[in-house]
Amino acid sequence: MSPIIEMQKVTKAYRGVPAIRDIDFVLERQEIHALVGENGAGKSTLTKVMAGVVEATSGRMLYRGREVAYASPFEALSDGIAMVFQETSLVPSMTVAQNIYLGSEKFLNRLRGVNVAAQQFLQSLNFTVSPTAPVASLGAAKRQMVEIARAVHHKAEVIIFDEPTAALTPEEKRYFFALMKRLKASGVSVVFISHTLEEALSEADRITILRDGEKVAEGKASDFTRDEVVHAMVGRTLSGEIYKTRRSLAQIRKPGAKVLSVQDISMGNAVRNNSFSIFKGQITGIFGLVGSGRTETFKIITGIYKRDFLRGGDIKLDGRPVRYNVPAEAVKDRVIYVTEDRKSEGFFETMSIAENFYSGLLAAGLERSHIIDFAEMRELAADWSKRLNVKAINENARVIELSGGNQQKVVIGKGLIQKPRLVIFDEPTRGVDVGAIAEIHQFINKLADDGLAVVVISSYLPEVMNLSDRILVFRQGRVVEEIPPVEATQEKIMYAAVH
Amino acid sequence: MILDPILDLFRGKAVTIPPMDGTLRPNNLLEEADVRLAVEAPDNLAATAGKVVFSSGGQVLELGKRKNAKPRIIAAFDSAVSALAVSEAGLLAVGLDAGSIEILGPGKARRHIDGFGCPVAITFAGEHDVFVCDGSRQHRPANWAMDLMEKNALGSVWHLSLSSGERKCLAQGLAFPFGIVMDPGAGRLIVSEAWRHRLVAIPAGGGEPLPVLTQLPGYPARLSPRRDGYLLSLFAPRNRLIEFILSEDDYRADMMREIDPRYWIAPSLSSSRSFLEPLQCGGVRTMGIHKPWSPSRSCGLVVELDAELQPVASYHSRANGTRHGVTSAILHEASILAASRGGDAILSLRPSSEVARP
Repeated sequence: MSPIIEMQKVTKAYRGVPAIRDIDFVLERQEIHALVGENGAGKSTLTKVMAGVVEATSGRMLYRGREVAYASPFEALSDGIAMVFQETSLVPSMTVAQNIYLGSEKFLNRLRGVNVAAQQFLQSLNFTVSPTAPVASLGAAKRQMVEIARAVHHKAEVIIFDEPTAALTPEEKRYFFALMKRLKASGVSVVFISHTLEEALSEADRITILRDGEKVAEGKASDFTRDEVVHAMVGRTLSGEIYKTRRSLAQIRKPGAKVLSVQDISMGNAVRNNSFSIFKGQITGIFGLVGSGRTETFKIITGIYKRDFLRGGDIKLDGRPVRYNVPAEAVKDRVIYVTEDRKSEGFFETMSIAENFYSGLLAAGLERSHIIDFAEMRELAADWSKRLNVKAINENARVIELSGGNQQKVVIGKGLIQKPRLVIFDEPTRGVDVGAIAEIHQFINKLADDGLAVVVISSYLPEVMNLSDRILVFRQGRVVEEIPPVEATQEKIMYAAVH
Repeated sequence: MILDPILDLFRGKAVTIPPMDGTLRPNNLLEEADVRLAVEAPDNLAATAGKVVFSSGGQVLELGKRKNAKPRIIAAFDSAVSALAVSEAGLLAVGLDAGSIEILGPGKARRHIDGFGCPVAITFAGEHDVFVCDGSRQHRPANWAMDLMEKNALGSVWHLSLSSGERKCLAQGLAFPFGIVMDPGAGRLIVSEAWRHRLVAIPAGGGEPLPVLTQLPGYPARLSPRRDGYLLSLFAPRNRLIEFILSEDDYRADMMREIDPRYWIAPSLSSSRSFLEPLQCGGVRTMGIHKPWSPSRSCGLVVELDAELQPVASYHSRANGTRHGVTSAILHEASILAASRGGDAILSLRPSSEVARP
């Protein structure tokens, strides 16, 4: 039997620069196939060609042995190829049920019927999402679930997932992989892009590894080891560099002066009487499960959210009480929050790299003149692109055209341009490839070495353990444990986060 | 926001306390420390030329070389000793609860200096200059809790010249200055201001106090030098109940008028010795068990500070412990000696630099 998808010598070039080159790719029927590679390796481009989001510049694609060239995702979906994007493409103002049935509505619809059908459908997938909830009110994990449900609902024979597990909790991931196996058993073929190599190795039948737009390896997942995959991805062994298990006492930075003192801050049920301190010259790692109030706490500190009006607690920056009503006030005090949701909160996607960097400068009021200085913008972009190793055609490239890792670097640079004294990184390496993770980690370490107070919020335990000089564990809206890195184990941190 | 001060009137002031985290993260090092000497209410420790002296009640004693060796009485007074310092040449300065300072020289030489209301900390600079913390103009050292409950800031720091007999006020309006140490490199004095939970730097010639370490989670007591920094003892923790009482003027006035000071809701040097004590959260046993994570009116806490006066390590006795009310700690022969006034013991600790721990 012929493979369900076969791609032959496929090339896709943007402005003459090839994102993928002469790629041969085969997806067998009822197969789970993992696509791995660094950011910018061409994984998303390859899958976008499959799903009709972009057209290949050259090469052939066969679907069920028949040559196809999709002009739009709708054509591909009609043929049975669905793609679940990394950044969800749901309509936020519509309900979950409406989103699932979007595009497949009948001429006359009864809302109650749609809701009931959606409820049954979601239950069959074991997803605990209310069909009547507006998508805008859902968190990242639940949005991902709706996106998956929509793809499954369209009875696609090939489902392509771009970073499906980045926003999911460990428990949700287990559900997701069980679902993927159920899909496979029901005859569906799955392609998934993942930066978590353990997932690719344990869940996929076969793996294809891309590097710099070319295929460098392909084979059965069971034939690869983790180090082999990493080596093929980056051309060097980064495994030990990134995932050192534990830091020694000598590696831990001594704390400087207390920069931030958070005392009993509260915000409804999300943050409850939370108290902790952040010190200069140290990386404070924050770990907690989704819903533990980590992001909310730091959004209160930086003026994005408001603490309780009555007795909402105290926040002291260098001993001075502060209550930021808008983030701009925090930026003026050189407190920077680097968001976890880079696409909607981190950058202006239609603007260039240079304009994004410059917007950071404008927000802090650090620009040289009151009118836009293009020379300063160019200097800034060249300087920060070099410092952060942003890989792009030039500084005029739009941020949306960059890979996830490079987008993240732009978001980080945009914050650091504001000369912060306290930097809060929320999931700094979510959806970022292994090579860029190492670079971002190095950069975060350098900030702490330079004497800045640094906070890293992460759901990935090895990252927290590897980066932090002290680890704070959040549960139910407050810090429940402080664990020195020399004593930290994954089990100990997880135990504190759960019990 | 410009309206915040007005909105704060409606929002109500939150009673908050800085958390004990980072280098102040609780441990049991003070509780598990060796007892160098079990003695009733040891207070101020001082060391010179291999000799350690301390005060207990109305006596100044010399600590024996061996563990639990009987201490030698150096001097005895009618009044309780409230402060103690020793110069390199062995000159002893003793502050008394009655309000005077006695300078004891070699042999029987003795000099009496009057005019202090509340001498609670003394330090020498050479053999002829003495700096004194006068905790309060209003109360004697034994009545420190009353000074806190009245929210006084009537303390001052003085320079005494032993050669000329002159005295000069270096700073006043301090909220119970309880510890003093010389920072010779910078020509300044570091003073702990207990009721404002901070350390301030005062120029040795006098001048405005400059806060150098603020937002301490307890009431700082005496300071002493150590290698590349200082040792600070905190005699009691801050807790929200006491902070609340301090914000309730009428209640506090009634409490002070009607209740025996031993049972006030105020910081304490020890806990759980009487069922008449006010409820103090973790300080109360429930079914025979203390809750060490709960706040208490008393605790034991010694903090190592670096040369920039930032905490680098700490030693705790928590709510379920007994080595509370540490009013003084010094470095002596590679050990830290801490006087637990509430725990009736002088404790010996290994400094953090010699212990491989976070």
